[in-house]
Amino acid sequence: MSMPGGMKGLFKAILSSKSGMVGVTTLVIVVGVSVFAVLYVPFDVVSKWNDPTFWQKNPRFAAPQWTSSVTNRHLPPTLRIQSEEFSKYEYYVELSGLKYVTLEARFIYDYDDFPSELSLLVSASFSEDRPLVITTLTRPDDTQAMLYRNIISNPESYFYISSDSEIRGNVQDFLVNSGINATGTIYPEISLLAVKNENMADPNRASVLKGRYKIRVDMIASKESDTADAEFIVHGQIYGLAGTDNRRRDLFVGLVWGAPVALAFGLSAAVSTSIIQSLLGALSAWYGGIVDEAVQRVTEVYMILPFLPFLVLISIIYEINLWLLVVIIIVLSLFGGVTKTSRSVTFQVMGEQYIEAAISYGASKLRILFVYIMPRLLPYIVANIVLAVPAFVFLEAALSVLGLGDPRVPTWGKIISDAYSGGAVMHGYWWWILMPALLIMITAMSFAFIGYALDKVVNPRLRER
Amino acid sequence: MWTKYLLKRAVFLSLTLVLSIYLAVVIANAGGLIDQIIRSQIMYDLRTNLARTPGWAQLTSEEQTKILNERLELAIRAKGLDRPFIERSFIYLYDALTLDLGRALFITSASGTKQVSVIILERLPRTILLFTTGTIGYSLLGLVIGLRMGRRPGGIFDRVTTFFAVVTQAIPPWFFGMLFIVLFAYQLRPLGVTIPFGGMVSVPPPTDPLNYALDVMYHMALPIFTWIFSLFGSWAYITRNLTMQASAEDYVIAAKAKGLSENQITRRYVLRPTLPPIVTSISLSLIASWQGAIITETVFAWPGLGSLFFRAIESLDPPVIVGLTVVYAYLLVVTIFLLDLIYSLLDPRIKVGTRQ
Repeated sequence: MSMPGGMKGLFKAILSSKSGMVGVTTLVIVVGVSVFAVLYVPFDVVSKWNDPTFWQKNPRFAAPQWTSSVTNRHLPPTLRIQSEEFSKYEYYVELSGLKYVTLEARFIYDYDDFPSELSLLVSASFSEDRPLVITTLTRPDDTQAMLYRNIISNPESYFYISSDSEIRGNVQDFLVNSGINATGTIYPEISLLAVKNENMADPNRASVLKGRYKIRVDMIASKESDTADAEFIVHGQIYGLAGTDNRRRDLFVGLVWGAPVALAFGLSAAVSTSIIQSLLGALSAWYGGIVDEAVQRVTEVYMILPFLPFLVLISIIYEINLWLLVVIIIVLSLFGGVTKTSRSVTFQVMGEQYIEAAISYGASKLRILFVYIMPRLLPYIVANIVLAVPAFVFLEAALSVLGLGDPRVPTWGKIISDAYSGGAVMHGYWWWILMPALLIMITAMSFAFIGYALDKVVNPRLRER
Repeated sequence: MWTKYLLKRAVFLSLTLVLSIYLAVVIANAGGLIDQIIRSQIMYDLRTNLARTPGWAQLTSEEQTKILNERLELAIRAKGLDRPFIERSFIYLYDALTLDLGRALFITSASGTKQVSVIILERLPRTILLFTTGTIGYSLLGLVIGLRMGRRPGGIFDRVTTFFAVVTQAIPPWFFGMLFIVLFAYQLRPLGVTIPFGGMVSVPPPTDPLNYALDVMYHMALPIFTWIFSLFGSWAYITRNLTMQASAEDYVIAAKAKGLSENQITRRYVLRPTLPPIVTSISLSLIASWQGAIITETVFAWPGLGSLFFRAIESLDPPVIVGLTVVYAYLLVVTIFLLDLIYSLLDPRIKVGTRQ
């Protein structure tokens, strides 16, 4: 059996084969995304990912923006009417001692579908008595819906118009006053923006009333210095490049951030296990005797003990972060299949003349092992690393699916398992599960293609004649 | 020479077995850490139970501590946790080696017993039904396709299948399972095709045996398809490589020159030398299939040994973990020994030299 011609030959083989080129190209893209992720993402993803207030203003379950052009429907993005866009009138009536603040903003809604949610943020500054806040929405057909009329107790009031029971009651009143039967569940985000007809309260049959809307917030407070600002958010159905999940998180951030994590995790585990295993295999063959026997037996023990259950057990008992997990994986796979391969390759190398020459001029055993034998094993080590990376990337995903991954770091596996347990499949939130699945598959395949090209070099008998 | 070789092999394999099982005992108990976890759990249960007992609050705190300690000691003795872990670990090892699997701490079988052997035997048929059937399926399919690929290496069939093999090899079965559930079980639902996306039988299960069997098969369809789909490719690729190596031998070329048909060449000259490694792989994957697959079973909610393993780990039930490991270790070691025996009978080279 001829031996492959070192590392140079490996690279040449990868670049000259079609599968190798495809693999390298895809891998370069994934690495590019990783570099981009580290450089571009402007905030600390790991600490923000699980912070719900950070994502509060995003829509929930929004599809990627480009679905709008694919389905050829003008789906609503998120409209954020910031406090600067509200015109503000305020005056103080000394006689009654009341301060009136009126905030008004207009927005045009001309999309083919309803928003996913409506929310309003009122930030009021008041000193003693809590102010009264009245919110109304004026529709293009000049009807008015009173959304909220009550005393607020917090300086920062976040009104979830779509789920707040008080607001829902008000919307029901609005529907009843318009002469519509509204006995079922009330969907404010639909009824408020629907054409006025008998289907107005039915989420499946209502049609969008396009045009210019006006949102108005009035506050009546008790001191001249009291004032208020408002922000109105019409949560859309599409968001960003990759959509959002159940916690309104921008999946693009998570997916991009997942690339360096997956590469680092897969590569570090694959590199360490391959090098350790092949070193032990070489040691076993080169020293022979009791060393060989010991390594062989321990390898068998490792092959009998179930790897995954023990890994799962350890991650259940101890609180484990992603990098500790790599260490445990390495410890649980010190010996394995590579030990056996590298042992048999070392036997072949040992028979060659230059080793004999090295022995005859008195080179030490250790020197021969590291200087003359290990370099010959390098192609096998590289091929093994490349083939092992996908397995480790998927291992992390598997642990996430079992609910055992690192909960803090957004990884592709974590996103997939969130999507799976969050009912993405049942409700048809395809982007949530398919995009991370696609990314993990592309990464795995890029390594598999390179590995295939390498396999032909390392095992020359596989070359087609 | 031959008996000496076999004897040596048997001794070493038994040593390996003992060592592995001892390690399994230690790891499954997390080096005694699980004792502490269970101890504090018992303590907590006792406290909450006693606090709910009428009249407990009227007792003085000394009386409370006394009763608590008495009960704690009894409960710990009942679980057999009163002796140091090191001592117990060897008792566990002996029990495991004699296949006395003992009683589970928390998990009960469907029939209501805590006997680990009953729990395992209850689930084993389900795992065999799915995974062993699937493994036989993909081995045969892979073998047939691999032989066909090896006939014309570089041809269109070979290249397409190799591509498929390279792709599926990099992606684990559970991942395909998830994708197929998304694609088939859910997306076909509006079209009127209902493929179950988990479980082994409908709820409630059909009463008559025939319908029960049909129902199980219906639930098996997607997981078994997934198992075969994701594994037969790499298996075909391995077979192809082995046949290609064999086809390059001079005697095959000679047979071709003689004008034998391709089927005859495959059967007589190619398959025979490639069979030993194939048989090894098949028997090892058959043994492995008895273990089930933790993640695939979780994804498909299949109530086999894999999900039992996961439940045992989740509820920190060392006897069940050790029991599962021991059964597998025994099966594996016996298989390895039998394979050694068969090859040493078949292959004269092994009888003479023991090394490479």
